[in-house]
Amino acid sequence: SINLMEELTLRGITQFYAYVEERQKVHCLNTLFSKLEVNQSIIFCNSVNRVELLAKKVTELGYSCFYIHAKMQQANRNRVFHEFRNGGTRHLVTSDLFTRGIDIQSVNVVINFDFPKNAETYLHRIGRSGRFGHLGLAINLITYDDRHNLRRVKQDLGTEIRPIPAQIDRSLYVG
Amino acid sequence: AEQNETQNEAPPDQILDRVQFLINNLSISNCAEKANDLRDILERRYFPWLGNYLVVKRISTQPNFHTMYLCFIDSLGEYGKGLVDAIIASVYVNVGKLLRSQKITTSTSERSLLKNLGSWLGQITLARNRPILQIMLDCKELLFQGYETGMLIAVTPFVAKILEGAKNSNVFRPPNPWLMGLMGVFRALYNVDDLKMNIKFEVEVLCKNLNLKLEDISLRNVDLSKRVPPVKEKNPDFNLKSQSAAAPAAALSPD
Repeated sequence: SINLMEELTLRGITQFYAYVEERQKVHCLNTLFSKLEVNQSIIFCNSVNRVELLAKKVTELGYSCFYIHAKMQQANRNRVFHEFRNGGTRHLVTSDLFTRGIDIQSVNVVINFDFPKNAETYLHRIGRSGRFGHLGLAINLITYDDRHNLRRVKQDLGTEIRPIPAQIDRSLYVG
Repeated sequence: AEQNETQNEAPPDQILDRVQFLINNLSISNCAEKANDLRDILERRYFPWLGNYLVVKRISTQPNFHTMYLCFIDSLGEYGKGLVDAIIASVYVNVGKLLRSQKITTSTSERSLLKNLGSWLGQITLARNRPILQIMLDCKELLFQGYETGMLIAVTPFVAKILEGAKNSNVFRPPNPWLMGLMGVFRALYNVDDLKMNIKFEVEVLCKNLNLKLEDISLRNVDLSKRVPPVKEKNPDFNLKSQSAAAPAAALSPD
């Protein structure tokens, strides 16, 4: 069994997946950001390289975004995170470096641009510490290769991740 | 209300999506650039819709971005004329809806929407030396009625947040008589016995923000005794000390 951190919870988080091909991912992100009401969002990638590539791509598309990853110096990471927390940009593209879940109240959308390999990582990305039981939306972009991981994560966490509907009820993730 | 919504004609879906995308990606650093983009995307005849959209879907739920939305509106320049009016009109409509809502005293989420709208209203009016006209929103009467009907729990933070906007206003900061009149009501309410701590706290925070001392505020023209005193039992505005609450109940008990 896996070592789940007790204080993280998926309560209040509505989870969806979108089945896409790798090359459709950025387009899919674009569509999401024209349909959703984002206060702030965090977008996860599986590698440092992909964080930088995606951040570059989405900046070109007119996003307001910062990026942060494990190979940046701690001081720079802190600065970026602090600025994001203060609302400097609307989106943060990141690799896995949050170890205790996201405790930023204004983040109402989390996107797994790359689906994580295991349930523990998934929980760290999506889960919130229980004290801040805020509403939120988690959207997973799933490729053919991710299909087994998706099933496993659902099983291991005993949680529901449903296909994304055409319309998402805003009461699920807004105030 | 429905009539109002049909008057706010929404743009075609494709434009609507682009506007949503633009707003999702707005930040302090790109306000000017995004303002230019909006000018290319949206005709001014959709401002009633945009104003309502901003108020209902963004401003009421995103207090952390109020400064940014103000900056964005300022950046719209000549093109943005009329949007502020549309926004203010929508604020009044939606404040009215919330104040009339059955759940406003029990639902924390409705109260936080109301509080956020108050904060925004103060910023876009008082802070910019624009008045809040009595015919649009009678703040003083609202406080009095809140006192009479057990709605202070919702109304106090709302009005306090509005008045916070006076902090940096040349016209409305203390000792502006309109403001001080309202502060007099707050002081009178503060002194009502058994008032809940969190309501008192709202008044204290407001005084601190306006650099006022509660005891220095004049009570002139404020007479709570002319109003119908509220029943304090089962009233969300009051916390009766357990003894005084229990005693009459025991006296009435047949056993």
